Amino acid sequence: MFNALLAAALLQASAPAHDRCPEAVAPPAELSGWASPRPLGAGRTVGRATMLTPGVAVAARLPSTRDVRYVVRPEKPGGSVSYGGVFAFTVTTPGRYRVALGSGAWIDVLADGKPATSVAHGHGPACTGIRKMVDFDLAAGRYVLQVAGNGTADLPLMVTKLPA
Amino acid sequence: MIGRAALTLAALILTVAVAAPWRWSLPPGVVAPIVPADNPMSAAKVALGRRLFYDADLSIDGTMSCASCHEQKHAFADVNATRPGVHGDPGRRNVPGLANVAWLSSLTSADPRVTTLEAQAMIPIFGLEMGMHGSEQEIPRRLTRDVCYRRQFRAAFPDRRGRIDMTSVAMALASFERSLVSFGTPADRGALSPQATAGKAVFDQTCASCHSGPIFSDGHFHVILPVDKADRGLAEATGRAEDEGRFRTPPLRNVAVTGPWFHDGSARTLRDAIARHPVMLDAADTGRVLAYLMALTDRGFIENPAFAYPDDPCGSK
Repeated sequence: MFNALLAAALLQASAPAHDRCPEAVAPPAELSGWASPRPLGAGRTVGRATMLTPGVAVAARLPSTRDVRYVVRPEKPGGSVSYGGVFAFTVTTPGRYRVALGSGAWIDVLADGKPATSVAHGHGPACTGIRKMVDFDLAAGRYVLQVAGNGTADLPLMVTKLPA
Repeated sequence: MIGRAALTLAALILTVAVAAPWRWSLPPGVVAPIVPADNPMSAAKVALGRRLFYDADLSIDGTMSCASCHEQKHAFADVNATRPGVHGDPGRRNVPGLANVAWLSSLTSADPRVTTLEAQAMIPIFGLEMGMHGSEQEIPRRLTRDVCYRRQFRAAFPDRRGRIDMTSVAMALASFERSLVSFGTPADRGALSPQATAGKAVFDQTCASCHSGPIFSDGHFHVILPVDKADRGLAEATGRAEDEGRFRTPPLRNVAVTGPWFHDGSARTLRDAIARHPVMLDAADTGRVLAYLMALTDRGFIENPAFAYPDDPCGSK
């Protein structure tokens, strides 16, 4: 039965068609630090969440999803072979903040253990290496950033405040 | 001796529970769907399929599950025109909703050869979407590591001795998808507003020749949009010129939450989707039909916890 199912599946597949970027494009000003990230290991629990500094990009190293304990179960938690992590950051100036990622991983920004509601999301500018951006309106305080379902252990990541 | 008897009794109870016939919860007049004889419904299979549906270990890098694209809040469609695959390959067709898929005579937008959910499930798993082609043994290997899965497969497939392979995975996924029944809309309850009632009258006259029957689809393939050489529709399966640009009539329950619409997701609004059909509706009638289509949203289906991510599949909490 499986061979028949697989044959039917492969009939449906077509050739891959990746976007091509002849050269890298500089990210917008608010993400200018994106091109020079510093290495950073992700936390596995909220108690050991790794601190991020808004405006500073990181080349995050993520543990296996099996080793991560999330505060809130992510809506799309990723499989056992995926990677995730727990970060934290502090907002001193209220405003709109953007979480930029180099992958399509799921993210949650938590305030007092509850997910904040995003106000916008979308793809990053073409050829910048930013694949996904999610915006939040945040008051001053400490926030937890959960990353879930990343396909590799490496994740370019940045939290930054957007111009008012 | 007593221990062995207790074990036998427990096994008997489990067997009876697993073998218990599936009971469809359907409104009067709706006939239960045809289910493949070699994959009868059971509660254990549906529970297993539900867990698999939400498990991203069904994709090559663990990032994408069936539910990544088929989101319950969108009646198991999603909000994108198309979705890229696990490696970033662009998607080709709009993600369809899954309400009442058990009644569809063919699956996918334009391939009448795919007639079972078991077969359909393998298309995204081994296609560009989830990227498992070439790694056929990987999913069983991953699932076998999990003690809860081993228990669930044994309960769901006693006839296969709980074997964890892609045949069982496909059967369980199909069983869960068949359980996605949606007949609880205001229209089903006879709770239409005057505007929606007027819209139903217009719909019955102008739309119901194709969007017909209990699931609002005749199951046939029609040309609605101009033919696009990049996606030839039914002709890709049949090779016949007359099938260029033909796509299957989509079911309409929950249509208001499954946008964007059409096989390519090119209609950003439901109003636009109506306008691109070859029927002449003035603004007033379009508004009435829109009101009727809005009344085809089944909140009980979209919010049914029995279809949501299973947080505790083996009762370990």
